[in-house]
Amino acid sequence: MKNLWTSARLRWLAAAWLMVNGFFPLLWMVLTSFKAESELVAKPITWWPQHATFEHYVGAFTTQPLLRYLSNSLIVASVSTLTSLFVATCAAYAIARLNLRRRQWVLTAIVASSMFPIITLLVPIFETMRSLNLLNTYTALVIPYTVINMPVCTLVLVSFFQSIPRDLENAAMIDGCSRVGALWRIVLPLAAPGVFTAGILAFVNAWDEFLLALSLNSAAAMRTAPVGIAMYQGEFTFPWPVISAALVVTVIPVALLIVFFQERVIGGLTQGGLKG
Amino acid sequence: MKSTWRDPSEKTLAWLLLTPAFALIALVVVYPVGKLIYNSFFQSTGFVGWQNYADALQDQEFWEAMFNTLGITLITVPGALLVGLVFAMLANLPFKRKWPVRLALLLPWALPLSFCGLIFAWFFHTDYGIVNDVLRMAGLQEPTMWLLRPGWAFAAICLTIIWKTSSFMALILLAGLQMIPRSLYEAAEVDGATPWQQFWQITLPLLVPSMVVALIFRTLTALQTFDIPYTMTKGGPGSATQTLAMLIHKTTVDYLDLGYGSTLAVLMFVMSLLVTGVYLKHVGRAA
Repeated sequence: MKNLWTSARLRWLAAAWLMVNGFFPLLWMVLTSFKAESELVAKPITWWPQHATFEHYVGAFTTQPLLRYLSNSLIVASVSTLTSLFVATCAAYAIARLNLRRRQWVLTAIVASSMFPIITLLVPIFETMRSLNLLNTYTALVIPYTVINMPVCTLVLVSFFQSIPRDLENAAMIDGCSRVGALWRIVLPLAAPGVFTAGILAFVNAWDEFLLALSLNSAAAMRTAPVGIAMYQGEFTFPWPVISAALVVTVIPVALLIVFFQERVIGGLTQGGLKG
Repeated sequence: MKSTWRDPSEKTLAWLLLTPAFALIALVVVYPVGKLIYNSFFQSTGFVGWQNYADALQDQEFWEAMFNTLGITLITVPGALLVGLVFAMLANLPFKRKWPVRLALLLPWALPLSFCGLIFAWFFHTDYGIVNDVLRMAGLQEPTMWLLRPGWAFAAICLTIIWKTSSFMALILLAGLQMIPRSLYEAAEVDGATPWQQFWQITLPLLVPSMVVALIFRTLTALQTFDIPYTMTKGGPGSATQTLAMLIHKTTVDYLDLGYGSTLAVLMFVMSLLVTGVYLKHVGRAA
């Protein structure tokens, strides 16, 4: 048993299994996106594209306003990431550093706000946005996304702030720097990795969100990429190759983020998950 | 030291810095919950008392959606935990390079739920799906009409959710595994414990705290299941795979019946609170 557990063969088998499980679904969409229309309806199905074609990638952008969807997603995800980072940085600094009574209570209250089911908040948010004429605007999504992402950003940032030695700030303040100045000039640059980690988590969450985007921004010009692509299907038609191509294009930015910043994403996720 | 607006006292500054966070929570979480409960006592005609709640209890569609939601929760949460535990143990093996395996666990997390639904709808396609192709190669001649038959559609949705969520579960459990001191295993080995005994006596008990947190979050999100059934089956065939979240969405956004939609949402809210309470009371004590 011991030999089996430490054997190289088991390690290879485990790695292969995990890789197939993780990569195959997306790989299958990549393969589908290169298959010609006629090949998709052939039986039995082919696994490798027989005549690879790029036409569906062109089709994804020309038959549907995919570029518009992507730019909507980019705007909403970037703006809400910046706003939640701003709010979370303020809150996390107050919790980690300032002489605050009941700091644990404050942190718990912020984290608890992420336990509320988004679907139950949907009805009143929908009603409010409708009465304010904010349906089908970027604001309609940026505000709820900011709140959804703030708790996890706060958690990640609190632990980063706590890891920065207080002496650095104290020294700056003795030299005549105000506390806000010390936060801006000393603490934030040192906490940059933490801010960055929190930012990636917030961005991916906002980029992937579906329910609110579907309900609040249903007009064709205001859809985000996940909603827009889910709407490619007609009443009776399912343009699979075009859907696959659009899906692959939309996943690329997020995939690049996790390839390059893997360690940080995992660190942030487990921190948020374990302490929550 | 006298405080000025440029250099406020520490306490003032603390509350100043916390204001944006609490203002947003009040605006987007607390006020909506209050509004939701208020709304649930109204119909378009005006105040109706508990009428909406009475209607819900009589509503066949509500009970079906409730049954589906609880079914998905009871199947996919333990399912994802078991698969996630296996994946975490495998990913914790002493690989020379750790990043390919970690990336394989991160990718399903980063994929939008709605895309998972689309991808697996294509996997489970009756004629051109890869699942039926593999089953055919395994000798099963009659293709299964996965998404067109109620029971099969439900099974396909559960499998998709388990695939999507087990990787995240594995990442959380992997972090927990790595915190277990190696010396415990060494001591157990000296005492002659088998790997099987080590798993039950050391690994599992020490993983319980990670598991509790992961289970609470997973159960809460399972109760809200929306994206995957919406993109895979739209709740069909008929309303056989419609979840409570989908019914709330349809009632509110498509029918604009805010009163009844709010009532259903309040019921969902109460259910989530109960789950959190039960977990913290029973599982938390065991930890």
